[in-house]
Amino acid sequence: MKPVIRIDNEIVSPVSHNSTVEVEPGVYSILVDGASHEVRVEAGQVTVGKRHFDYYVDDPRQWNRSGDSAGGKGRASIVAPMPGKVVRILVAAGDEVAAGQGIVVIEAMKMQNEMKAPRAGRVAAIQARENDSVVAGAVLAVIDPTPVG
Amino acid sequence: MFQKVLIANRGEIALRVIRTLREMSIRSVAVYSDADRASLHVRKADEAAHLGPAPSRESYLNVGRILDAARRHGVDAIHPGYGFLSENAEFAHACGDAGFVFIGPPASAIAAMGSKTAARRIARDGGAPIVPGTEEGLVSSPEGRQAAAEFAGRAGFPVMLKAVAGGGGKGMRRVDRREDLPALFDSASSEALRAFGDGRVYVEKLVENARHIEIQILGDHYGNMVHLGERECSVQRRHQKVIEESPSPLVALCPEMRQRMGEAAVLAARAAGYYNAGTVEFLADNDGNFYFLEMNTRLQVEHPVTELVTGLDLVRLQIEIAAGARLPFTQEQIMLRGVAVECRIYAEDPANNFMPSPGRITQLAEPSGPGVRLDSGVYPGWTVPLDYDPMLSKLIVWADTREHAIERMLRALGEYHVGGIRTNIPLFEIILRDPAFRSGQLHTGYLDALLKRDGLFDPSPAPELAAVAAAAVATHTKPGPRPQAAQTSASLWLSGGREGLLR
Repeated sequence: MKPVIRIDNEIVSPVSHNSTVEVEPGVYSILVDGASHEVRVEAGQVTVGKRHFDYYVDDPRQWNRSGDSAGGKGRASIVAPMPGKVVRILVAAGDEVAAGQGIVVIEAMKMQNEMKAPRAGRVAAIQARENDSVVAGAVLAVIDPTPVG
Repeated sequence: MFQKVLIANRGEIALRVIRTLREMSIRSVAVYSDADRASLHVRKADEAAHLGPAPSRESYLNVGRILDAARRHGVDAIHPGYGFLSENAEFAHACGDAGFVFIGPPASAIAAMGSKTAARRIARDGGAPIVPGTEEGLVSSPEGRQAAAEFAGRAGFPVMLKAVAGGGGKGMRRVDRREDLPALFDSASSEALRAFGDGRVYVEKLVENARHIEIQILGDHYGNMVHLGERECSVQRRHQKVIEESPSPLVALCPEMRQRMGEAAVLAARAAGYYNAGTVEFLADNDGNFYFLEMNTRLQVEHPVTELVTGLDLVRLQIEIAAGARLPFTQEQIMLRGVAVECRIYAEDPANNFMPSPGRITQLAEPSGPGVRLDSGVYPGWTVPLDYDPMLSKLIVWADTREHAIERMLRALGEYHVGGIRTNIPLFEIILRDPAFRSGQLHTGYLDALLKRDGLFDPSPAPELAAVAAAAVATHTKPGPRPQAAQTSASLWLSGGREGLLR
């Protein structure tokens, strides 16, 4: 079984007939039929030119070594990006959620922000309660991906 | 000339001042809080002084600690940058009392322009047009609300409520209906009290669809004063400037407006006994009418656009003037050439309600090439602190025409990659492609209206690019060594050099 690569939550086959060179750590020069692309890979995000995609590698053999926020076992954590207060929790553990669905609302710097599911899946755990104060990097919720059929 | 100057600031502006000091062979002293020990301005300065903990009032706003640092390092002068203590008359005064030259205007002019109602009187008495409004600040009381309602009744709604001690959009409210006035008055007043310790509010007639156009002025200690043309800063969000450009697309159509505004700005500044660099802000309508808004008694964030169209180094001129030099040119000698545009790059996510996005910068690719200037305060591996304004850099371009400058800015933004955090770069790519912006039809409500459009930040489908992305991800996550290009050139240089030694 080959690893499954999801780009913006869609399974995508890598383009073929290319020459790929890592020119800087995490920066790839990829030539496709004479077209030159600069691609940057980091922490669950991949950028082709100016176009950003979220990525996630679903690997049955678990040799995914990205070590990125997508997580080696396909779990996605929703993390507080800065210190703030949990205003509302919009889902419960066990819920099926769609990509982009709001999970937790946190308030930071006087603004409320909805933290969204990075991809579809099942809520494995909610690790915050309403009115909690959270530090930057605190895990608020964990989402397991929907198994690839 | 000074031997050593302390910069009472941080980030890109501290670095901006350090660069000019180095060109002038003047030693630079950076100051830093606990959060900024590893910041770029500390790395690039000749000397650095620790101020205290991260909160600004214990570091960059702490006059006593800054003056202590200046004494320890034996500086001659202090440059305040913008923000922090730059428009604090007591700080300017304290610098002088402690024997340091304050690189900026006299404390008396800062104080005079610090009160918005006093500034309006000075400007009006100096002969500059002002927006109709209440003469005095009003407090949150039955009499205050009554006076506000009487003015609004005479002038007609909508009106603006503004804090007398105002700045940064704090204590500002638009009032469209008479019945909303009392509640908005009280909320503006209490916000002003919290932000400035002064709850007084004044009322102005609202100029609809106005443009924000400001004039850069520069004066020496001997009564010589010039203006350096205008900057248009109408692209704003929450009263904060987002894009600035010079010349203004409106003024470019009627250049006599520049002369009238420039003269009005110099009149207002002279009336306040001003010298050094300053900016007079105006509201302007498309009929060529303009009204004094306020004066900023410091170097502005957006000063580089003026530098690019005039060819001048405003920081060098500030330092020379503070050291007692005369203005080295007359009004007639100032030539404006081409078009400059600036984008303020922030660590914030425009697609998610402009949520601040502090964090570690994992990758950084900076734009360069023809006509590009980047005034940045960041480097890869640096963590953007939570404690201060999240501006990362200012990207400024120059070109012969506005159309070419916009195309150049889009090209430069395309080269700019900040990894690990979100930035507002996607916002600029939308604005700069917007037909209304391209045609120069700007007003201060322009950006708010643009941001109301649905799906503004939704990416268009790009299956070809997704397949390229997948190829990179597949390579990146595969175990074992990643493909590297054969690097032969280094060894050729080496062997060539060795051969040269043998000859």
